[in-house]
Amino acid sequence: MSGASPETEPGRESELSAGPAGWLEIGRRALTSPATVATTILLIVPFALGWFRTELFSPLALPGYVIYSVGTAIGNAIAPRFEFWVYWVPFLGGCYGIAVSVGTGYEWVRARRAAGEDGTETDRSPDPPGESDD
Amino acid sequence: MRRRSALAAVTTLAGTAIAGVVSRPGGNDRLLTAAQEGSDDITTETTQLLPDTVHETTLYELTASDPGPTVMVFGGIHGDERNGIEAAHDATEWAPDAGQLVVVPETDRVAVENDERGGIDGDLNRHFPAGEEPTSDLARGIWDAVERYDPDVVLDLHRSLGIYGFHREYVGQTLFHSADAHGRAIADALTADAVPWYLPFHRFTPAESTAGGPLLFQKAAAELDATAYLFETTAFLLDHATMTEQSRLVTAHVLAAHGVLEYDTGIGVAGTGEPDQESETEPDGGTSA
Repeated sequence: MSGASPETEPGRESELSAGPAGWLEIGRRALTSPATVATTILLIVPFALGWFRTELFSPLALPGYVIYSVGTAIGNAIAPRFEFWVYWVPFLGGCYGIAVSVGTGYEWVRARRAAGEDGTETDRSPDPPGESDD
Repeated sequence: MRRRSALAAVTTLAGTAIAGVVSRPGGNDRLLTAAQEGSDDITTETTQLLPDTVHETTLYELTASDPGPTVMVFGGIHGDERNGIEAAHDATEWAPDAGQLVVVPETDRVAVENDERGGIDGDLNRHFPAGEEPTSDLARGIWDAVERYDPDVVLDLHRSLGIYGFHREYVGQTLFHSADAHGRAIADALTADAVPWYLPFHRFTPAESTAGGPLLFQKAAAELDATAYLFETTAFLLDHATMTEQSRLVTAHVLAAHGVLEYDTGIGVAGTGEPDQESETEPDGGTSA
């Protein structure tokens, strides 16, 4: 996974922890976060393979299968006469929404970790000259 | 470190996929082979039902030398449900070990040719009210044949668009059956043979049907005291090959459970012999059955 490392953006961590603006920044980053992309692929691709050919279903398709099937069950209860292929639209949107949630968590953890590393570095800074116990 | 993480992720995903492929149920080739290779000593006859009419269709009669029950299998009562038509055509080349296998692969031939659910008089599977005359020429012709053979077992092959109990409109992945049938055992065997664990909503459900409806299998159960099944696979996330394979498997399981195939599936005459005791469920009157 790649992406802009917090370490390469000095001052970002303090921005991220500065209330709503920080959360907005995390949310903005989550839209294209590597975790978001990976989760989207994981939810959609294995399921799409099985959609084209049943033989290609695998355990990896289970999350997408559950999301799509439950979506069609709810949709069928509300609007019974829609054909099931129509549910691909909300399925893709829903998968991306879930992936963005995962990406948000990932970006938040990264920001926290980076902020923690900054604090650790401060603690480790050498004592000022003349204040040594030696 | 990142490269190592990526490698670990790819390995995990590949391992999961491979494990899934390896653990996938492989159908039941031995059962299908037993159905195809059965007895050498069978006689095959074909008869035209409703000859010289637009409904004319072929009935196949395969009789084993050993005595046994008569099983009638119907495909194409709905012309656009190709899985049942194909599976029934395959069954015309099987070899029963005992009794008689009677198959009508294209019951509503006009509907089959038009690739539509209903034929000239609409949905054929609403033309068999119990205790009354069938309500169309085609239904009367089919029912005449059913009465002539007086089957011990009737199996009607269908396909729905959704899943029973999951999609309100649909009845797929269900084995409807009469009270004296082996519905649960056969549904469980089908699930074991044909549904991988990672498609949990596609597990087969047995559902006991009341005998008073206008469906062919209900009329056979009510008036001829036949053990009757109506099988519904689903087009929801399953391709044609899978639906057809499931239809073949249910046909073979029904034949084995009732002693027409000498193959021990642990069901019916080969197994416990006790029919199911299930809560009664109203069969679908709507979209697919």
